[in-house]
Amino acid sequence: MSPRAAARRALPVAVAAVAVAALLASVRPRPRPTAPPPPRPVLAAPADTAVVRGVSSKRPRRQGPVRTATGDVAVTPFSYMEVRVTLTAGELTRVETVELSGTGARTQAINARAEPILREEALKAGSADVDVVTGATYTSRSYLQSLQSAIDKARRGG
Amino acid sequence: MGIPVGIDVRDAGADPAAVERAFAHLRWVDATFSTYRAASEVRRLDAGTLAPADAHPAVRSVLARCERLGARTRGCFDVRATGALDPSGFVKGWAIERAAALLAAAGARNLCVHAGGDVRVRGERTPGEPWRVGVQHPTLRDRVAAVLTGRNLAVATSGAYERGPHVVDPRTGRAPRGVLSVTVAGPDLGTADAYATAAFAMGLDGPAWTAMLGGGYEALTILADGRVLSTPGLAALRGG
Repeated sequence: MSPRAAARRALPVAVAAVAVAALLASVRPRPRPTAPPPPRPVLAAPADTAVVRGVSSKRPRRQGPVRTATGDVAVTPFSYMEVRVTLTAGELTRVETVELSGTGARTQAINARAEPILREEALKAGSADVDVVTGATYTSRSYLQSLQSAIDKARRGG
Repeated sequence: MGIPVGIDVRDAGADPAAVERAFAHLRWVDATFSTYRAASEVRRLDAGTLAPADAHPAVRSVLARCERLGARTRGCFDVRATGALDPSGFVKGWAIERAAALLAAAGARNLCVHAGGDVRVRGERTPGEPWRVGVQHPTLRDRVAAVLTGRNLAVATSGAYERGPHVVDPRTGRAPRGVLSVTVAGPDLGTADAYATAAFAMGLDGPAWTAMLGGGYEALTILADGRVLSTPGLAALRGG
């Protein structure tokens, strides 16, 4: 694997670590009991799947109300990652790194953020001063009904 | 593979024996992986008459890569999309990639190997000029929608210009809408082939997914409404 590809593969871990640090800073246990915040809105997304990639947990020092919180989704070159934490009596007792995939509303909303990255243009038709053509085939048996056959014929005849 | 293969070596002292070895390799791939041959290892694995442990190491390696690609593409590259085991969306590109590597190992510097719309180029078409790979126009058979140039490049395309049913979105079981073709360019043709197959199966979700590929893979998607969406890095590959 090239160093660049290796660096890119390391990114999800780094992003997850940053997300955990940010969460730890924001969910430091408060001394007085408070009502739990309203649940974070979750888009109904039956077609999304979440795969837990990493878990670390420890026994709580004392028993008490259990809350979970989910960090912002991190869009990495390879996946969507989010970090979920569990607090028991205000103490961080579990951290999960979750990889999201699927086609439900949640991942589509994430997708929409990536759209502006794409460059858009109108389809053009150029002349074929090329050595070879890439195109779709209909079945693995059929010959690419395209410019390639003309190029090959010209090369055989020329 | 049942499709014509082209091997174009433009070195002054090209070795015909190396070209013959490359063709022999492709024939071996066809005999071993073809889903159209009942005696192929892929068919026998699927039928249960060949144990995975007894399969050729290349077959095991290919199937392992296909599994990783399935995860990487959120299940949209799926060797079981049609029900039967069919890794051809990866094998076609992988075989051409291996053929090009065989030629390079034998000393070829300037070569173009292609089959069924998959292309692998190394070196130059003529001294000083990189290879020119045309992206088939979806409706005008004698035109190209774009030209990609390179001296070390793999290019694969998946699509259905006339809405052929050969690519199925495993999530819905139907042909995808709205997209005519997806072309992926990058360092490895097997991977490019699987990425193009998966992106096309994703339909209108495909372009955004291609924007996140990384690893040197760029994509160009031709939509049915006449728009062309490309990843930012593709511009560097465009030729005049």
